[in-house]
Amino acid sequence: MTVVQLERIGKSYGSHTAVREFDLTIQDGEFLVLLGPSGCGKSTTLRMIAGLESITTGTLRIGDAVMNEVEPKDRGVAMVFQNYALYPHKTVFDNMAMALKLQKVPAAEIQERVGRTADMLGLTEYLGRKPAALSGGQRQRVAIGRAIVRTPKVFLFDEPLSNLDAKLRVKMRMELQELHDRLGVTSVYVTHDQIEAMTLADRIVIMNNGVVAQVGSPREVYDHPADEFVAGFIGSPAMNFIDFRRDDTGAWASVDGGLRLAALPFATGGRSELRLGIRPEHVVVSAAPAEGDFTALVRLDELLGADALLALEIGGTRLMARVGGTNHPRAGDRVGISIPAALLHAFDPATGRALERLTTGG
Amino acid sequence: MKTRPRIGLYALVVLSVVISFLPIVWLILTSLKTTAGIYAWPPQYWPTPITLANYIKIITDSPELLLYVLNSFIVGVGCTALTLSIGGLAGYALARLNMRRAALLMVVILAVSMFPPVSLLPSLFQNFLNLGLLNTYTGLIIAHTGLFLPFTVWMLASYFSTLPAEIEEAARMDGMGLMRIFLTIVIPLSWPGFVATGLIVFIFSWNEFPLALVLMTQNAMRTAPVGISLYPGEYAFPWETISTATVIAIVPILVLTAIFQKQIVGGLTAGSGK
Repeated sequence: MTVVQLERIGKSYGSHTAVREFDLTIQDGEFLVLLGPSGCGKSTTLRMIAGLESITTGTLRIGDAVMNEVEPKDRGVAMVFQNYALYPHKTVFDNMAMALKLQKVPAAEIQERVGRTADMLGLTEYLGRKPAALSGGQRQRVAIGRAIVRTPKVFLFDEPLSNLDAKLRVKMRMELQELHDRLGVTSVYVTHDQIEAMTLADRIVIMNNGVVAQVGSPREVYDHPADEFVAGFIGSPAMNFIDFRRDDTGAWASVDGGLRLAALPFATGGRSELRLGIRPEHVVVSAAPAEGDFTALVRLDELLGADALLALEIGGTRLMARVGGTNHPRAGDRVGISIPAALLHAFDPATGRALERLTTGG
Repeated sequence: MKTRPRIGLYALVVLSVVISFLPIVWLILTSLKTTAGIYAWPPQYWPTPITLANYIKIITDSPELLLYVLNSFIVGVGCTALTLSIGGLAGYALARLNMRRAALLMVVILAVSMFPPVSLLPSLFQNFLNLGLLNTYTGLIIAHTGLFLPFTVWMLASYFSTLPAEIEEAARMDGMGLMRIFLTIVIPLSWPGFVATGLIVFIFSWNEFPLALVLMTQNAMRTAPVGISLYPGEYAFPWETISTATVIAIVPILVLTAIFQKQIVGGLTAGSGK
């Protein structure tokens, strides 16, 4: 059982605060992804768990033990770095065996454990080579093997796939998933890539400016973003945000014109202004406008293959929509659109917090 | 149009090579001339006849030259080893250990090296006299080490900061201590930096004049540049002896440079990262 507990962990460099009050319990066997833009504090948090960065405030527990002052090697964690960080002057075998040698594990056992891991990762034939003689994917596999050999209680990954090209990244992502299924070791994974986060994570922690913006399953953060930052960060292309104002009749009209909604299923709390969010994939586009549809002009169309993206203009309001890639509307076409109220998100324009959805229709 | 700056660049390179090599070429040519050839007017550009007589004469008549070269070699090797050991540790601490005021320390180290060595001579001489370090290898090695240490610290510290820090972090995660990381990871990865710096320090030490002149007063302890410069000439300056001895004295440097040239150019960090 390896539960990792971060209790109000914080990191400051002088007057600059990199991470503020990070509070989270990572369950045994969980795959947790720290997601956020660069400089959001996700790597710093990971490095504090690893012991490469000192903890300014708060308590870190791995298992039952407080780890704040424990040396990295004694924390039972293994880390995979973005640029692999292999020892360039040592062979693949020596790279993978280093930690065991330092722990004075008997040579025969080292041989056996490195051999088994190399076998699992398909590295057996490369054991005698130096890292320079390997491809990027093989190097990253060695780095992962080096972590596995130690049989750590926690795996730490610091953007391990960022240096790989797109095709290889997808392949390695799946390998990591399989590996986690097989080993079941608690893992903390840092990335700025939302696709990696969505596909790998049991839970995602989205960070912004050193603060946790939301913790939740991929489904939760996609369906119920806690604030405008999360809503805009998760999903590609990003969610449309449109400012609305209440008019004299009590209906909501878009500030730039064109859209008008009679009632919203949100606890608007007497606000006269709010920001609505709708994902491009949730905008319903029809070639022939039906009763109650808004009429939109297609300004641009981009075919992605299976899908197409449309840049729409309704009155003065601009909107991105994702539609099927066959016979999609072209630039210059006039189309009808509707926005399903159930898929809308509403945010306070001042704080960015999501507004509560009313459960009873209204 | 595009090639014009290139041509200018090549011209500058060729010019600087000519300027720095001309004296050496002249020196070598002089050492191959007869005495009459050296003093001939108009000057003889190409030695006619070419003779090795000067070399044979210097080796048979003044065997102390070989002693000077040996002294220079011992001091150079000792100074290089000591400088790299201290400079490597200091440079690593300054580059990597998140020391407070590391940048300030680096500037102070640089500032110390701005003092002209000659200004240190009186106090150095007095102290070495009291400590019994005059006319000893240890003495001159210590003096040279002090002289070239700032340069070494700067060279190595900047080399260390080019290494990807993650390799050392991975070593920490694997369970290595600081000293083991330095010895088994940092030194092998910085080998080209150590070789280049060591070679430059060796050449500095080999050529250093004022300290070697003052701290080694016995003829048997003199280094090559000092010994050669003090060759006695009764009525005329012995150009043929001096040029020949100088050529002999720069040979070890040329050999060392040739041996380590590849090391200096080659990088070892290839393959650790992207």
